[in-house]
Amino acid sequence: MAAAKTRTSTFSRNLSTAAPSHGPGLKCGPNGTVFLSSGIPDLDKILGGGFPLGSLVMVMEDAEAPHHMLLLRNFMAQGLVLGQHLLYSSPARDPRGFLGTLPSPAASKDDKSRERDPDQEKGLRIAWQYKKYFGENQLDGQRDGKHEYSNEFDLRKPLERHFINGPRIDCVSIQDCPDLSTLRDRCATFLSQFPRNDGSISCAGRIAIQSFCAPQRAYSNMEWDMLSFIRSLKSMVRSSNSVAIITFPPSLLSPSFCKRWQHMADTLLSVKAIQDEDKELAQLLTGYQDMVGFLNVHKVARINTQVY
Amino acid sequence: MAESICRALRDGALEGELAPALTIKDSVASPFALQVFSHVLSQLFSSILAGKSQSRGLVVVSFSRSPSFYLDLLKNKGTDIASSNNQIQILDCYSDPLGWKDQLAGSRNFTALSNEVLVSSTAIVFREVKHMDKLYNSIIELGKGLVGGGKIRFSIAIDSVDEMLRHAPVSSVARFLSNLRSHDQISSIFWLLHSDLHEARVTAVLEYLSSIVASLEPSHQLANGQRGDLENFSLIKHNSKKGKFHVRFKKRNGRVRVMSEEVHIELSGINFTSLPSEGAINQGLVPKVQFSLQLSEKERIDKANVVLPFEHQGNGKPIQIYDGRRSLVDGKHERPFAAVENVQTNENCGSGEIIYYRDSDDEMPDSDEDPDDDLDI
Repeated sequence: MAAAKTRTSTFSRNLSTAAPSHGPGLKCGPNGTVFLSSGIPDLDKILGGGFPLGSLVMVMEDAEAPHHMLLLRNFMAQGLVLGQHLLYSSPARDPRGFLGTLPSPAASKDDKSRERDPDQEKGLRIAWQYKKYFGENQLDGQRDGKHEYSNEFDLRKPLERHFINGPRIDCVSIQDCPDLSTLRDRCATFLSQFPRNDGSISCAGRIAIQSFCAPQRAYSNMEWDMLSFIRSLKSMVRSSNSVAIITFPPSLLSPSFCKRWQHMADTLLSVKAIQDEDKELAQLLTGYQDMVGFLNVHKVARINTQVY
Repeated sequence: MAESICRALRDGALEGELAPALTIKDSVASPFALQVFSHVLSQLFSSILAGKSQSRGLVVVSFSRSPSFYLDLLKNKGTDIASSNNQIQILDCYSDPLGWKDQLAGSRNFTALSNEVLVSSTAIVFREVKHMDKLYNSIIELGKGLVGGGKIRFSIAIDSVDEMLRHAPVSSVARFLSNLRSHDQISSIFWLLHSDLHEARVTAVLEYLSSIVASLEPSHQLANGQRGDLENFSLIKHNSKKGKFHVRFKKRNGRVRVMSEEVHIELSGINFTSLPSEGAINQGLVPKVQFSLQLSEKERIDKANVVLPFEHQGNGKPIQIYDGRRSLVDGKHERPFAAVENVQTNENCGSGEIIYYRDSDDEMPDSDEDPDDDLDI
């Protein structure tokens, strides 16, 4: 190693090339993972940056509430806004109809409103010996790159038509298909556009499969077939630069298959409805009036780590 | 609350949304689903006749009972069937669901029995219940015959889904129901289900497909396997006349509304009354503890006045790390600073203090003799 290079420790990473620059909407994370945004900045923060490329996200729906649609809408809209490719499958006869309900990015709020003065925290005061060493430095550097990675979405405004009518979006309706081979072939063709290699990533893909074991689908009795589809999708996604999200209602599966599906997921989320006019819950949670449901994060992807 | 169900069915569907769907579910312990179904049917039909509902016609798909049952039911409720021919149609899947009588008649020149003559022009026999697509088409045709094409909607009542599931697999029935719900001309749809006849998964599928789930439960739970016991006899008798009616509404905003009522079956019909005791459905989520978790106003002000160990640092004075050794210089500066502090931090007199009451006297007083060296108060 050249002596001119300053070394802070004995071990230094041997970087033969500069870190590859990635396309829009992708962010580098630790251990060489590259993330893409879920469309909800708060969820990205909880998950440690977003969904890692090559991972399979599964969302357990609640049969009583359509909250998984919110997650899907944000995911899909985020991909379209950033120019990423999208494949969408739903149990409806005409999946394109759902595209009309995708939200548009919200107008960016004044950045000042996002600052929170730590000294003004009401509620809990913490006596901390090293507080005096930390200034206001933490919020810098986040705002510039923000809109290139993730946006906040305004659910009241529909996404502009030119995003939806572009060539990058593909819809599959498998309501009448007797088995999963059509869907598998479409996914394979879609994913072959984003092979993973060591170079820089030009663009990423997103697959969204809604209500995978919905009872209307003809194959919904074929539980082993559905499981093997998920497995093959997971392996295809792993070797490509994309993220697949599958939502399913766990109450419609037998318990052993429900467990198997949960194990298949790299990232596992679940949504749950809230009971209306529940007095105890209203006492316990502030903002109960504005809440519509709960989101649980059961598992977070650990693809590039030694822990699996 | 049965009122709210009827209202929801009356109001019908919004543009671009799936039609509201009601499942009425019961079990052997509380077998009143038919009475509830009849009640809902008659209520809906009277509001259709009165013009108060979104839908303008009603199609009844009857599997388990003869069409004359419904006509008699509506007649008893006072509605005039003869003049309302154009507002109700019954698809008769009861008389000859698999088309056997037709086949018999064809092969042996067998003349139809007189009691098979159609009750009136309101009932049409359907003979192919195994084919969900054909059933779907027949229902839509009947409905369009009632209300015409275009944007006018009609409602559907299915009695009962159990029979459908005998003839066709769950996935076809599910597809049939969801196609009906997404048809533009359907205002609302409701069906009857006996949950004992099916596996749990089937009930889950039907609940998944519906936006309102009404279930009937016995008022008093019987212990399993003791039906013949004298003690339980009075409970059984009790349960044969009344039960509990639980409803779960899936609202548009994603919340679930849960309501309960008592239901009484009498000769004249069915009565819904509110539950006598509003017991808490959930266990209290706020833990009940022996100490008070709230603060009074005075306590809140005092708490705000307490000066915590490191709070006063960084206020203009050079930042120093307190390492437990007090030099003379520091000692001199500490006092006037503390005085300034007092003035700034409280509006009332005095500063807040944290007073610690020992739990018991035989605690080893080690913490007093060895204060944290770096606590800088």
